[in-house]
Amino acid sequence: MTNVAEGVTPGVDNSRPDDSRRGHVPGDSSMWFFVIGDLVIFGVYFVGYMYFRGQNHELFLQSQARLNLDIGAINTVMLLTSSLFVALGTEAARAGNRVAALQRFWIALAFGAAFPLLKMFEWIPEICSGLTPGTNLFFMYYYVMTGMHLCHVALGLVIMCFILRNLRTSKAPKISFVETGATYWHMVDVLWLVLFALLYLMR
Amino acid sequence: MSGSVAEVPKAPAPSAEHATSWRKNRKLDQWIAFWSVPFFFNLFGLVFVPLSWMMPPRSPSSSTPHIVDFMHSHNLLIACVILTLAYGLAPVSNACYLMQVKRMSVSPAFRYSMMIGAITGAIVGMLFPMFCFGLGAFRPGYNSGVLTMLYDFGYLAFIGSLGCFCVMWMAFGLAIILDENGILPKWLGYYTIWQYVTELMAAPVWIVKTGPFAWNGLMTFWFAMTLYVSWQIIVYVCIYRAIKNQPEAELDNASPELRPEAVELRSGTSA
Amino acid sequence: MNTRGQRILLWTAPPAVALFALAYLVFPVFSPPLSPTLTPDQVAAFFRGNVTGILGVAILGNLIACSLVPLFAVTAVQISRAATSSTVLTYAYVICVGIGTTAFILADYCWGMAAFRPERDPQLTSLLNDMAWFFFIAPVGTIMVQNLCFALSVYLDERPDPIFPRWVAHFNVATVVLLAPSAFSILYKTGPLAWNGPLSFTLRLTTFAVYIAVMFWALLRAVRYQGDDRVVLA
Repeated sequence: MTNVAEGVTPGVDNSRPDDSRRGHVPGDSSMWFFVIGDLVIFGVYFVGYMYFRGQNHELFLQSQARLNLDIGAINTVMLLTSSLFVALGTEAARAGNRVAALQRFWIALAFGAAFPLLKMFEWIPEICSGLTPGTNLFFMYYYVMTGMHLCHVALGLVIMCFILRNLRTSKAPKISFVETGATYWHMVDVLWLVLFALLYLMR
Repeated sequence: MSGSVAEVPKAPAPSAEHATSWRKNRKLDQWIAFWSVPFFFNLFGLVFVPLSWMMPPRSPSSSTPHIVDFMHSHNLLIACVILTLAYGLAPVSNACYLMQVKRMSVSPAFRYSMMIGAITGAIVGMLFPMFCFGLGAFRPGYNSGVLTMLYDFGYLAFIGSLGCFCVMWMAFGLAIILDENGILPKWLGYYTIWQYVTELMAAPVWIVKTGPFAWNGLMTFWFAMTLYVSWQIIVYVCIYRAIKNQPEAELDNASPELRPEAVELRSGTSA
Repeated sequence: MNTRGQRILLWTAPPAVALFALAYLVFPVFSPPLSPTLTPDQVAAFFRGNVTGILGVAILGNLIACSLVPLFAVTAVQISRAATSSTVLTYAYVICVGIGTTAFILADYCWGMAAFRPERDPQLTSLLNDMAWFFFIAPVGTIMVQNLCFALSVYLDERPDPIFPRWVAHFNVATVVLLAPSAFSILYKTGPLAWNGPLSFTLRLTTFAVYIAVMFWALLRAVRYQGDDRVVLA
């Protein structure tokens, strides 16, 4: 258990010293590979969605009207706020201010954890009222895309917990790990913004 | 990639320096296992596509006469025979992953997880669906409802087999990411996470019968296959390199003078 | 020699258990468990009327089918630590788990199939339902044997400091006895041994749930005390 801080943490490149003055790519390059690839995968879904929306405009419009825009909007605010605190926390960690970093990441976690909770309040009434993935093509896209996104959020929350533990227990927190986690979380946020616009807002 | 693997067990090749030198290769077992993979995958492809036209998948909402017609095709029986002869090579292709994971610094628990996923996957994802198609063609005269059920079973089991592969890709991806010996590149570990994601992406095939999310759909079949096939190619290229670059001292059958090094090299493993 | 990999894999078990619990609670087929005495027409009507619930759980079950495998994999690692003459018990254990998860996935397939095309001939829907139930309830043989392998590894362990407390082995043997009745479910359509009966259904699922909880605790403890102990790499 004691070797977590000293040992190699997943996906972290320890060979480079943490020197922000040198203008290095923040975090681990493998994480960037993952982020970009993930964006591409979601991108294909977005393109597919747009194409089929063009083919079934009426159907999609009507279905979109049945979404819970309020919860969608609140969730957007939750994620944005969470991302903000992740960015602030990363900055504090870089500056060596561990206490501030911890505080900010705890807040980020709280806001982030609100997302899946609110999602349940959105999905469960929808499913109970008969709006399931099988209802029509719009709802299939809706559930699949927000579902995949939710899995990403869950993973991001787990990563954040590891960041918190790292900040709390180790003498010299691994900045590159913090940056890697932050990169991932910002990606999750960006994906949600696009999803929100496409699914909820676009008319 | 020649089909040379098929000639390996036969009588010694004609006397040429080159021909006998590969038999002295210290990693012969690994190479034989490795080259069986393209052989198996190509055979698989031939059986599924030009032979029986099972793939690309037919539509779940095909009309009943079309389904009945397809299920009565004699080529399905031949496909079944060939595949039941060859499907033992699937474990070999999985063993190629395992032999690299064993070299990693991670716990054997990752390997066991992959093994279990592979055992399950070969049955529910290959043997069982194969026989559903074969059964349809075996006895003419089954009513169309029965043939439709076998048709559904065949395609859903092939394309909708999710969980067994979920655990394989999760364990494989995690193992690569956590590995301290750098056997396979870290980005491959992340790419393997996407393999896991393709399983999630394929889940809708159980729900709809038309459109991009059906078992022959744009998102659940074509897109997922693009990710899946490219990963398969890339992972085997990486494994090829890993086998090639494996120091001889590390091999289980390393000659005695290299032994002391071998012990040290392999002490970097964990529980 | 660190045990981080084992700990990561072990901790995937609680979310997996939560998802299994969710699946169980939400599955229309289980609440209450369908009776074997239903006629094919009644079964077909049930599936037609519960497509969403049944498909949802069948897909969830399909996805999480192997999510307990990491816990079993860690168990296999701990079995291989026992000071016995060989790793035969480890191999047997691993193969048993593979077969067991196969049976579970086939059950999911069958329920999913029945809900995929609910307008099927009721005879076929009923057949699929029967198949699913039997794949789900009856194949206890591999779980029994794998638990016996585990118990044996504890009893035969010659280490001065045992990996597991002895009662964990006794507990595993007890599960063997408690799971056995389910194998008889194919003989009965009513009564305690039928697939929906208190022995074949309730006892079996409760035993399995308690078993996972106990093993999770025991494995966490074993991994924590493993320290620098080198594992025989099977």
